[in-house]
Amino acid sequence: MIDRLFFSSLSRRRLLTATSALAFAALVTTMQPSPAFSADTPVEGGDITFLIDSLGDTWIPNNSAISSFQGHIWGHVTDKLLYVDADGKVSPWIAERWEQNDTATEFTLHLKSGVTFSDGTPVDASAVVANLDIWYAGRKKEGINPIGLFPKTYDHAEAVDATTVKVIFKKPTLGLIPTLGYHGSILISPKTLAQPATDQADLSKTSGSGPYVVESWKEGDFVKLVKRKDYNWGPAAVGQTGPAHLDSITYKLVSEPSLRVASVQSEQADVAYNASPQELVTLQDDGFTVATPRYLGFVNGLAINTKLAPYDDVKVRQALQSGINRQEIIDTVYTPDWKLATSFIQSNVPGATDHSDLLAYNPEKSEKLLDEDGWVKGADGIRTKDGKALTLTLHSNPYLATSKSVDELIAQQLGKIGWKVNIQAYDVVTFGEKVKYGGPAIPAYEVTRSFIDAGTVAGILTNANNGENWFALDERDAKLNELRDKIAGAASIDARAPLLDELQKYILEQGYFIPRTQIVQRIYVQSPKLKNVTYNGIGYASYYTAWKSE
Amino acid sequence: MNSAYRAYAAKRLFQAVVVILLAYVLTFVVVSILPGDPITNVLRNPQSGFSEEEIAEIIAAQGLDRPVLVQLWSSLSAFLTGDLGISMRSHRPVATLIGEVLPSTLILAASGLLVALVLAVVIAYGTRFLPKRYGQGLLRGFPSLFLSVPNFVIGLVLIHIFGFQLGIFRVIEPDSFWATFFAAIALGIPISAQIAEVLIANLDHEADQEYAAVARSRGLSKARLFARHLLKPSSLPVVTVIALTIGELLGGSLITETVFGRTGIGSLVQRSVSTQDLPVLQAVVSLAAVVFVVVNLIADLVYPLLDPRVKLLGTPQRRPVTADDNSSGIPTAVTS
Amino acid sequence: MTFATYNSTRLSFWSRLTSDRLPFTVALSFLIVAMAIAWSLAPGLFTSHDPVNGVPAHKLLGPSLQYWFGTDHLGRDLYTRVVYGTASSVSSALIAVLIGVFAGGLIGLLSGFLGGWVDTTLARLVDVLLAIPKFLLAVIVVTAIGFDTTNAAIATGVSAVAVFARVMRSEVIKTRQATFVEAAYLAGGSRWHILWRHVLPNASRSVLPLAVLHFGDSILVIASLAFLGYGDPPPASDWGLLISIGKDYLKWPWLVYAPAFVTIATVLSVNRISRWLRKTD
Repeated sequence: MIDRLFFSSLSRRRLLTATSALAFAALVTTMQPSPAFSADTPVEGGDITFLIDSLGDTWIPNNSAISSFQGHIWGHVTDKLLYVDADGKVSPWIAERWEQNDTATEFTLHLKSGVTFSDGTPVDASAVVANLDIWYAGRKKEGINPIGLFPKTYDHAEAVDATTVKVIFKKPTLGLIPTLGYHGSILISPKTLAQPATDQADLSKTSGSGPYVVESWKEGDFVKLVKRKDYNWGPAAVGQTGPAHLDSITYKLVSEPSLRVASVQSEQADVAYNASPQELVTLQDDGFTVATPRYLGFVNGLAINTKLAPYDDVKVRQALQSGINRQEIIDTVYTPDWKLATSFIQSNVPGATDHSDLLAYNPEKSEKLLDEDGWVKGADGIRTKDGKALTLTLHSNPYLATSKSVDELIAQQLGKIGWKVNIQAYDVVTFGEKVKYGGPAIPAYEVTRSFIDAGTVAGILTNANNGENWFALDERDAKLNELRDKIAGAASIDARAPLLDELQKYILEQGYFIPRTQIVQRIYVQSPKLKNVTYNGIGYASYYTAWKSE
Repeated sequence: MNSAYRAYAAKRLFQAVVVILLAYVLTFVVVSILPGDPITNVLRNPQSGFSEEEIAEIIAAQGLDRPVLVQLWSSLSAFLTGDLGISMRSHRPVATLIGEVLPSTLILAASGLLVALVLAVVIAYGTRFLPKRYGQGLLRGFPSLFLSVPNFVIGLVLIHIFGFQLGIFRVIEPDSFWATFFAAIALGIPISAQIAEVLIANLDHEADQEYAAVARSRGLSKARLFARHLLKPSSLPVVTVIALTIGELLGGSLITETVFGRTGIGSLVQRSVSTQDLPVLQAVVSLAAVVFVVVNLIADLVYPLLDPRVKLLGTPQRRPVTADDNSSGIPTAVTS
Repeated sequence: MTFATYNSTRLSFWSRLTSDRLPFTVALSFLIVAMAIAWSLAPGLFTSHDPVNGVPAHKLLGPSLQYWFGTDHLGRDLYTRVVYGTASSVSSALIAVLIGVFAGGLIGLLSGFLGGWVDTTLARLVDVLLAIPKFLLAVIVVTAIGFDTTNAAIATGVSAVAVFARVMRSEVIKTRQATFVEAAYLAGGSRWHILWRHVLPNASRSVLPLAVLHFGDSILVIASLAFLGYGDPPPASDWGLLISIGKDYLKWPWLVYAPAFVTIATVLSVNRISRWLRKTD
């Protein structure tokens, strides 16, 4: 009978796969990390597994999700020209020194010598020029995008000699220097950059100059990095320039947050990324290291659409500002590791000033403002004016896992004052399509955005110079226009600081931006054995300096 | 092999090809309705800082603003020559992407089917051996229960108990033997219900037949009667059911792979759906259709040769107790 | 195994329901389904808590007398959320079944009754739908029309069209060939009259248990879609969504087990009823 034949052959094949799977399992269990010594001195060797919720879409360096998941891998495989630490301080890395002309249109970078990409190509001036060019322009026909945040004022760059690069801009570009330490500005071998898009998409064909190289990878599954033994050009700011301590880092995709955390708890892995905040307290009690680095950027909050009624009314915006209990958000959704917002930019950004008094929870004030403004509470507790209900639609930001929970809590808080809050949660795709700053049905846009230089804020305030026009003000607010132009044209950081302070106060007073909390977009739960992990200005954990103690 | 059979075979083959091509076009049409595309989605990430003008420029550079029909024609003609195209999301060849994940899904599907078969035979066997009053009724309720439990719940419970509480497998190594074993159970349970139902129905049917009564009167032991006279004839329709559950195995692996964190066709589909990666979705749907159509084609072509009771009357009349008249269509599980 | 009986003196649904031979499990199943319907019609009668606004200080409490199923990460009563999520879970499954029955039934009816090229064309369409794994089809359709529970229901219904079309077609062909239909023809009855009076009632009798079965199945498929994130956003509390949220909090397992238990009990009851309906007496 045919069917019996079918069965027996099936079971034989099945048996074969079963035994090979068994052999694989045995192999894995014998590959235990090597033993280590005392706690404070670095231990050489060891392997770690980092559980991550996504490995992004494509590995074409320019197109990859450098700002979210893939940045972890790029941070170990590649170097940058400059280093930016968690406080926004810029220091040398591949570029040892740099100069600029008086108008900030010409920059000269002096490179370290002896640096090589893992394919053997030197990291010299011509390699840097090739990178600058592709960051600025991409190769759009082939599907290689430009780096979105690279200054659009770029004109060209030239190699003066093997270790000197001159970068020329069409207009003053103070932002270049911090941008070179930003996550998008990763140095890739010119040989890789010359490859067509389909080859660039194969991570194993990409060479950087970082302390680790890609050993193997599988799409949607894992990336395994191994130490590069001849590496000796690390950023001095992290206190180490030689090769890394850990032999290998495996980034493994595990999409469930609870599984990632439980695996670290049961010592099956060393790091769990993006754990649910609820679990952090118990994890800390159990001795796990919880890291919640804050990136440099805007706080998590709402950019209000001032064109859309009733948010064209400053009193309604101010009622909103004082109607949100930010402490309750931290108590309920987050843990004490989260910080209250003190402005609309994170408090660790150089230039951020403390305006907590403007962000205090004061429901009485909100009720009073709304009463004065003619919003009357109905029987259902919802306020109306001229027959229109006081509504607010929140579009939960899909890039922040806790966004929905915060929205639900804000809905409860505002509900007490008389708001009717609707929550709309879209996936990443639909969100990108439908939710835009100042959109006709978008009263508030939830911001999650990092930047490396506070000067960036000048570009979001209005629609001048291709600005993002976050509050749909266009050029209607003269005071804002004035501050914008002064900040963009500031010749030095010191001259800019008081302007930034004034801007922060004004935006919060006007209720243009409603902060929720300071943002922690990257949460790490680590095995207590893992020591000396460093975090950079964008909240990325670097295991270059780390080791594993016993 | 007579000419009637050859004509029948040719007709079925032609139908199979038509079905596969239609599945390809259908996917294109459905996915093309979606707003946006994978390229725009990446560019629209607020962190990338692109303006709408820049996005439009990039889209045009890649020919994504061409009319839908032109795009369909170019992808269909490539498909006919065996070129599955380039993934819009990862920019890698679709054939490479599928080739990478296919083995994992095949292992899971085969193990899931094996689990389903073993469970189904055990349940069906049990219904003939346990006392009618208690155990049998309970066993006959099993398929119903199995069809009522979402397989992601089975998966979550198995992971919770065997992965974490008992530590039998490492959750982050979903391709290990035990992880595959438990994933196969989560996948196989709902499917076993369908096979068991058909098997039980056919066993009941065959047991009522004259020859079974004769065999019983000749003093054949229950076990031998089951094995020789009941199981064999009852397994013919089971082959048909298996052919029909192939699609459900693939569909079920979509959820099971997600729950267990396996990298397979299911996770590829999920990633492709969330980024609207049309070439990958078309390839996967066509592949699923090809598998389904081929398996059923083989079943249809082999059946008339296997079972003398089946006569070719223009249309195939296989299945002594068919999926159509048994339980009015196969009870469909969540996995389908 | 045939359940389409062609005599007209069949027992009505109600007489079967009220007969004293109603098995215990079937009675229990009806009770559970009635409970689910009651929850969806008047959730406020069954709980005094608020499904949307919780007590943040009471987050993640275990099951107790005050909170029967415990509380979630925002301090909302889980039992209340399950009760309030019933309407959407049940009605979406109903939408899915109706789409399957009507679209599939129509295709099957036309195909079986008209025959010829209509039958051939529709058969290919059904073949295509059958050849694509149902869940894969549902996922693609729901992605195309947008993520919410109603769209998930539509996608689920579309993916069930092929099965209903097939069953309807074979029933129509069976009935058409039956003696009494032949007789009606000979007696000069019009085509549509025969379709309406004889073919449809007989064929649809076998579709009813299948529809009930699919109702249970649709609850599961929609829950699966919600589990994968293709359903309504919070604060909706569809059962699948509740399980999906609960899986992020495996340390507090009632967040998964409670909604899963309610889902399983309901689907099991529906399946039991379908099985009972299918039995010929």
